[in-house]
Amino acid sequence: MVTAAPTRPGRLDVEATTPTHAGRPRVNRTFYLFLLPTLILFTLSITLPAIMGITLSFTDSVGFGEFQFTGLTNYLALFSDPAIRSSYLFTIGFALVTVLLVNLVAFLLAVGLTAKIRAKVALRAVFVLPMVISGIVIAYVFNFLFSNSVPQLGQAVGITALEQSLLANPDLAWVTIVIVTAWQAIPSALLIYIAGILSIPGEVYEAASMDGASSGRRLVSITLPLVAGYVVINLVIGFKNFLNAYDIIVGLTNGGPGTATRSVAMTIFSGFTGGDYAYQMANATIFFLIAVVLAVIQLRLTRGRNAF
Amino acid sequence: MTSQTPLLSAELSRRGFLRGVGVAGAGLALASCARTAGSGPTEIVFYQSKPEVIGYFDDLIDQFHQSQSRVRVRHDATSNLAGTFVRESPPDIGCLNYNFEISRYVERGALSDLGDMPEAGRILDELQPLIDVTATYPDRTSVIPYSLMAAAVLYNRQIFAEHDLTVPTTWDELIAVCDTLAAAGVTPLYSTFKDPWTIAQGHFDYSVGGTVDTTTFFNQLKRQGTNVGPDSPVSFEKQFLAPVQQMQELVPYSQDNAESRGYGDGNLAFANGEAAMYLQGPWAIGEIAKSNPDLDVGAFPLPMTDDPADRKVRVNIDLALWIPEQSTKKEAAREFLSFLMQPDVIDAYNAHALGFGVTKDAAPVSNATLVELKDFYDRAAFYLGASQLVPQSIPLQNYTQSLAAGADPEPVLRTLDADWRRLAFRS
Repeated sequence: MVTAAPTRPGRLDVEATTPTHAGRPRVNRTFYLFLLPTLILFTLSITLPAIMGITLSFTDSVGFGEFQFTGLTNYLALFSDPAIRSSYLFTIGFALVTVLLVNLVAFLLAVGLTAKIRAKVALRAVFVLPMVISGIVIAYVFNFLFSNSVPQLGQAVGITALEQSLLANPDLAWVTIVIVTAWQAIPSALLIYIAGILSIPGEVYEAASMDGASSGRRLVSITLPLVAGYVVINLVIGFKNFLNAYDIIVGLTNGGPGTATRSVAMTIFSGFTGGDYAYQMANATIFFLIAVVLAVIQLRLTRGRNAF
Repeated sequence: MTSQTPLLSAELSRRGFLRGVGVAGAGLALASCARTAGSGPTEIVFYQSKPEVIGYFDDLIDQFHQSQSRVRVRHDATSNLAGTFVRESPPDIGCLNYNFEISRYVERGALSDLGDMPEAGRILDELQPLIDVTATYPDRTSVIPYSLMAAAVLYNRQIFAEHDLTVPTTWDELIAVCDTLAAAGVTPLYSTFKDPWTIAQGHFDYSVGGTVDTTTFFNQLKRQGTNVGPDSPVSFEKQFLAPVQQMQELVPYSQDNAESRGYGDGNLAFANGEAAMYLQGPWAIGEIAKSNPDLDVGAFPLPMTDDPADRKVRVNIDLALWIPEQSTKKEAAREFLSFLMQPDVIDAYNAHALGFGVTKDAAPVSNATLVELKDFYDRAAFYLGASQLVPQSIPLQNYTQSLAAGADPEPVLRTLDADWRRLAFRS
């Protein structure tokens, strides 16, 4: 879950420096001390394991015992592996569809929940509820619903398409994963949109309605442009999170039927339990590079925006 | 690296779930490993995670503690085993299913040689090929089998009697039995396609093992290295096509909602007499009895040819004992191993867990269902399930799920060949 505290990039460093006679700003050492604990923890728990993992991706290691360096063998095997390719295609497609669905629903909900309606606060609490439930629990509950309740409902109302479990349909199982993931992810996007919409000054709307703008016109011409920064952030962060899809898929389809819904993260983790350690480390390295590219895009897009 | 480390094992199978949850427990295990015993008894860690018998082994450990005071055993049922090896603090002794999962520990020499122990000499000679085809390390006895499971078609004797049916001994008889049952409005076969492992160990393994000699096939396949395809002597596409097609002929005799039913549903439905046959191993017998203790269950090997003499049962080495090279307390671990291998202890375990004995001096199986398979076992008319011999990095279980759903077998088997080639290329 991303609940990044808003930090202002840019000019802050000026306050932390004092000019010296050499003309070069001297940074107060205390600021480095503040950084130190995070830096040490980050190095120990992220950077070092990442370097070890990348090193192992050039070997035939199974995670323990003897191993040999095998050069680019794992990477060569990786690029010719249709299973890897299809896991990337599935994951990227899934992330795109989900991020669009989540943002569309969350934005419309946010518009509704910031309008003058009854029980606004209570409704907000209800819509945020899915966020606090663990993904695997949600997945098992929905697994039961899709396997038993939905087919029974389909039978009762005579919709033949629903009589067979969606989870067992190789062409449609991904839809269930999109639905459940979206159900869980909408609240966090919703919160950001609510904050965004509430930050728009009321005067703008007043002026617009005096000029005779309809409510639809106000939504398109005022609300949407003024929360555009939030939309970008929700899209990029959401997409990056959905690329890591794991727990909900495990609980719903476990990658099936067949291999129709195997995500990249599942494939990588299978290397840990399945003895394909070095090979999946190579896969993880590629995946890491993709994440880096996305992070750079995110920084580029959000730089200079008024939000974050 | 991705920001979240998943806490759950990728395979949420019967056993996988417990193990996955146990990742959290691994930290605790580590902490207590660090405590080294000064004087007094040596504490060893015993890894055993088969969920049905965790309590049983706790009782055995108590017995062991009462019989001597030199060695204390701590039972670890929840750690992530791969994690303990990666962290270089494996358990001192393990007792685990011997299959694709354990094979890499054997092949990388992570398990110590037990060949000098008298217990190694008591193992049935017929089991050696099964051990070797799974994994070997030169000049080492890496594991000592403890329990063997023989799996076949479970059938409801009462339903068979009501329709005057006898156990089929050929493929045609099997189809005739299914047709008779279907015509009488009885579901011939209960299938649980929602859980891929049930297809892999049942429909797929029974079909393949009834036609192909899996030991010969996999030994040859390993010798071929990366040369697995249309031009090689053996390949999945060549040898497995016919049995897989037969499997797909059998699938339509399943109940209508097989795609959305899992292992638990299957046990309950079979216990309630909703179907005549059920492709599950002896581990399901106890689960079925929980819902309906009076159900009269029989077992027969799935006949795949028109010669009754071709019938074989599927076996797997359900438990095997091993001691990692990295254990610093091998002597204490060996003492516990010898205790577990005492004839009365191992016989009592196998009677309890519905396993077949693996030693030359073992007591014969006595379970009312499994006695029907005894003759096959005694004649060594058995095979290792093909799904147990394909490394986990190939998603075979998922492929069998596609096959059960009616996927064209040739492309699936070609994919399997290609996966095997790629695995051979990089290892």
